[in-house]
Amino acid sequence: MPSQIDLAARNKALDIIKNSMRSLVEQISRGEKPILVIPKRTLANTIYDLRKKMLLLGPEIQHRSFTDVNEAKKFMQTLLMASIIFDALRNNEYPTIRDLYYRGKHSISYKTIDGKHVSENTWEEQRESDGVIRDLEVYLSVLREDLLILSKEKGKVVGNLVIRSGDDTIDLSKMGHGAYAIEPTPDLIEFVDVDAEYILVVEKDAVFQQLHRYGFWRKYKAILVTSAGQPDRATRRFVRRLSDEYKLPVYILADSDPYGYYIYSVFKTGSITLSYESERLATPSAKFIGVMMTDIFGDSVFRKIIKDKDARKTLEEIAPGVSELKPKNPYLSESERSNFVIKAKTKDLERAVELVGYKVADVCIEDKDVKNKIKKKEGLTGYPWFSTPEWTRELCIFFNTLSKLEIEAMASKGLKFLADKYIPEKLSIGDWID
Amino acid sequence: MSELKEVYRAVSPAEFFYKYREIAGFANPARAIYQTIRELVENALDATDVHGIPPDVKITIRKADETQDFYQVTVEDNGIGIPPNIVPNAFGKVLFSSKYVLRQSRGMYGLGVKMVVLYAQMTTGRPVEVITSKSGYKRIYYFKLRIDVNKNEPVVIEAGSWRKTRDWHGTIVSVTIEGDWSRAKSRVLEYLHRTAIVLPYANIVMLTPENEIVYYPRIVNTMPRPPVETRPHPQGTDLEFLNSLVKNTDFKTIEELLIHSFQSMGEVTAKQILQVAGINPERKPSELSDNELLSLINAMKTYDKYKPPSSRALSPLGEEIIKAGLRRAFNPEYVDAVSRRPSAYSGHPFVVEVGIAYGGNTPIGEDKPIVLRYANKIPLLYDEATDVITEVVKEDISWDNYMISFPSPLVILVHVCSTKIPFKGVGKESIADIPELRKEIKLGIMEVTRGLKQYLSKKVKEEEARRKAEAVAKYIPEVARSLAVILADENELNTLRKEIISKLTTIVAKKTGVSLDLIHGIVKSIEAEA
Ligand SMILES: Nc1ncnc2c1ncn2[C@@H]1O[C@H](COP(=O)(O)OP(=O)(O)O)[C@@H](O)[C@H]1O
Ligand SMILES: [Mg+2]
Repeated sequence: MPSQIDLAARNKALDIIKNSMRSLVEQISRGEKPILVIPKRTLANTIYDLRKKMLLLGPEIQHRSFTDVNEAKKFMQTLLMASIIFDALRNNEYPTIRDLYYRGKHSISYKTIDGKHVSENTWEEQRESDGVIRDLEVYLSVLREDLLILSKEKGKVVGNLVIRSGDDTIDLSKMGHGAYAIEPTPDLIEFVDVDAEYILVVEKDAVFQQLHRYGFWRKYKAILVTSAGQPDRATRRFVRRLSDEYKLPVYILADSDPYGYYIYSVFKTGSITLSYESERLATPSAKFIGVMMTDIFGDSVFRKIIKDKDARKTLEEIAPGVSELKPKNPYLSESERSNFVIKAKTKDLERAVELVGYKVADVCIEDKDVKNKIKKKEGLTGYPWFSTPEWTRELCIFFNTLSKLEIEAMASKGLKFLADKYIPEKLSIGDWID
Repeated sequence: MSELKEVYRAVSPAEFFYKYREIAGFANPARAIYQTIRELVENALDATDVHGIPPDVKITIRKADETQDFYQVTVEDNGIGIPPNIVPNAFGKVLFSSKYVLRQSRGMYGLGVKMVVLYAQMTTGRPVEVITSKSGYKRIYYFKLRIDVNKNEPVVIEAGSWRKTRDWHGTIVSVTIEGDWSRAKSRVLEYLHRTAIVLPYANIVMLTPENEIVYYPRIVNTMPRPPVETRPHPQGTDLEFLNSLVKNTDFKTIEELLIHSFQSMGEVTAKQILQVAGINPERKPSELSDNELLSLINAMKTYDKYKPPSSRALSPLGEEIIKAGLRRAFNPEYVDAVSRRPSAYSGHPFVVEVGIAYGGNTPIGEDKPIVLRYANKIPLLYDEATDVITEVVKEDISWDNYMISFPSPLVILVHVCSTKIPFKGVGKESIADIPELRKEIKLGIMEVTRGLKQYLSKKVKEEEARRKAEAVAKYIPEVARSLAVILADENELNTLRKEIISKLTTIVAKKTGVSLDLIHGIVKSIEAEA
């Protein structure tokens, strides 16, 4: 038997689908060609909203008319997807996107005008049906979670937090060595009681477990969350809700490499492919606590670079104030650095260029051969939310040292160091990037 | 050195053609049998359609000897028949004809049937048999005759007559010749097929030696208007004609003679011409000197204010007849024809007619259309490469511009009719390149091909519309099902689904301009598979 909250969600979703489809049928019975009016889900129509500090869908609208030869199939697919989701909702099912792919995939066989028998599939690969799901989310302006579509559970959480999930009440401070796996429908969770001062999101599952066993969250009044790599939608929505509803600051702890920085930016501003969901998934107040390049190297490297007038000028143009940042000392000694630091690969460099643009790389990279390797990215200007003085300094150091570092390395220096010095100290002095 | 002694003598026309029969198309036994059938059939047709009679022509070919390759060819028609006193000369005197008048006909030299008789005489030795009667005659006449080659005179071997029991008119001609039927057969069949295309108003039957019946029934009841005998046009004449005119006339003055002997020649015109020639209009025709006649003919030829030659002597097929013939022959997807307005060259009137057939069973032209050439309703089967019609098709028309790319199922039929077809050489198989004619042929082909282009581009558009409709229609059932699943209860689901299907069918039909039935068909085919 589905829980009350589950049933209510189902009925709401059924109504949303029914209402929008009813208007289509009305068009049809008036003899008009049916049209789906859908916000455009293209890169060009993805914009960074400076005020809200998140990636949002732009104002462009697409009219998907059934009688348009180029749109007819997509139109059919959208309605087909709506009908299978509708059917699943009515039957108290929880399909995954893979289930939906299989349920909707069948062949349409027909006789052409020249009498040939032809057969085509409603869709071929899951990539196609996944795209249709996104279209439908945008069209209905609901998230798939609201349609009770499940995905793999990836995120975990522990801390002084009591929730209601389904008909059960769960105390997340009593999970033993385990943790609560964030359900794919975080909007159905009810927060009953919270006793914490902030949320700490750890990119790496292993570090999450170490901090959990160490008793970090109890000692420092934190809700400890891990996304176990790239955050899924449920984890992002969970963090966003919890931070919104209890006014808890969110700190992200990720690897010190362009991937880690990007994971942070997905939490904070949203992702490009799912920009239509940012309003509900992004947490614009999230802060990057570490690991920073300056935590590893301090800022001496950077100071040396901006001694050069031209370099300084270029960087100031990109991020005004970058040369006036507070000086920073490293957390690692020379020998620790040489033990823990990993050499950056070309792919990391390319990714970094995507974040802050080519000019920063051009100024900060010393090695000519390395520079040649990323020549093809010339012209990229980076994402607006990365062109801040702090990020410019971080990535400049990255380009100059060609180094990266995993959080695990910080734990290797000693779990005690990570839990009792690194994190609390940075939090207390406010050493984060916003 | 003794000089060779030259011997001088004259031969009769009969003797000449007897010796040089290949000039008239009797080069070998295969060609001979084909030519025999042609000459007899064309005489039969001249005796019918030229006189407004819908032709009924029956051709019988049968083996006439057990051991030798002798064939008896008999052609029967329902034509005007021949007066009995004329028959011996018509069949036994070379260069005797009733067609030396200015009027479009197939025969024109008075040679054809005599060549057949001569060829029979020299290969099998058998005489020609003629049975004939005219409408209104009470008797049917019968002749058996041969030709005295040296004298160019008929020799009647047998003649007789019997009473008519019904009002039959027509002619039956029968000859026995040596021939190679097996090699001639395909050509003969081709000849009949081509003839039938321009003669859908004729009944043509052929019985082959193998007892096969080849039958082209009459499929239209209209006939081309018969040609009317006309006087020559002053520009189409010559000094020789003028000479014989002034010698044999009863007219008292040259002015009168001119006015009554030529078309487009009124009093004013005649006076002006005579003035230019320096001849008093009152002069007696027979008293004009050779020099005066020469300046007269020159004046007649250079005068440039005549009305163009009358086309009344011509008998064009007409557009409907050409289309009917092409339709029967090829069952084409598209057919059209045009009869150009009369035109003239050197004082001879002519009309060009062009037919076009595309698709269906139309034969494929590999790098140019298949060309069917006709002169005065006779199909031209040989010497295609040197014909002006072929040249126009190959050189003057850019087929690409008409949306035609080869290979293509395309036939172009060109019919030239004239009181004087400008044949190349004596073979009468290819038409010479006369600028006025070439231009008309080109314009005619362009005219019908433009029509085809319009048809093709419309077809392409329709095809596109149908493709578009198909690309949408195939999703109607799935869309309807999806909407019905969402909006209807279990028991109303099918009703709603069907309602949406029928609505969408109408919407798509309206949007694409394609017929409802077509979209129904696609939708149904999906329903059937599901
Ligand atoms: N089947 C026929 N019916 C009526 N007249 C005929 C027929 N066959 C021949 N003739 C007459 O015999 C004449 C001579 O025929 P032919 O030698 O073929 O010369 P041509 O056809 O060129 O006049 C024709 O002009 C015509 O008057
Ligand atoms: Mg003849």
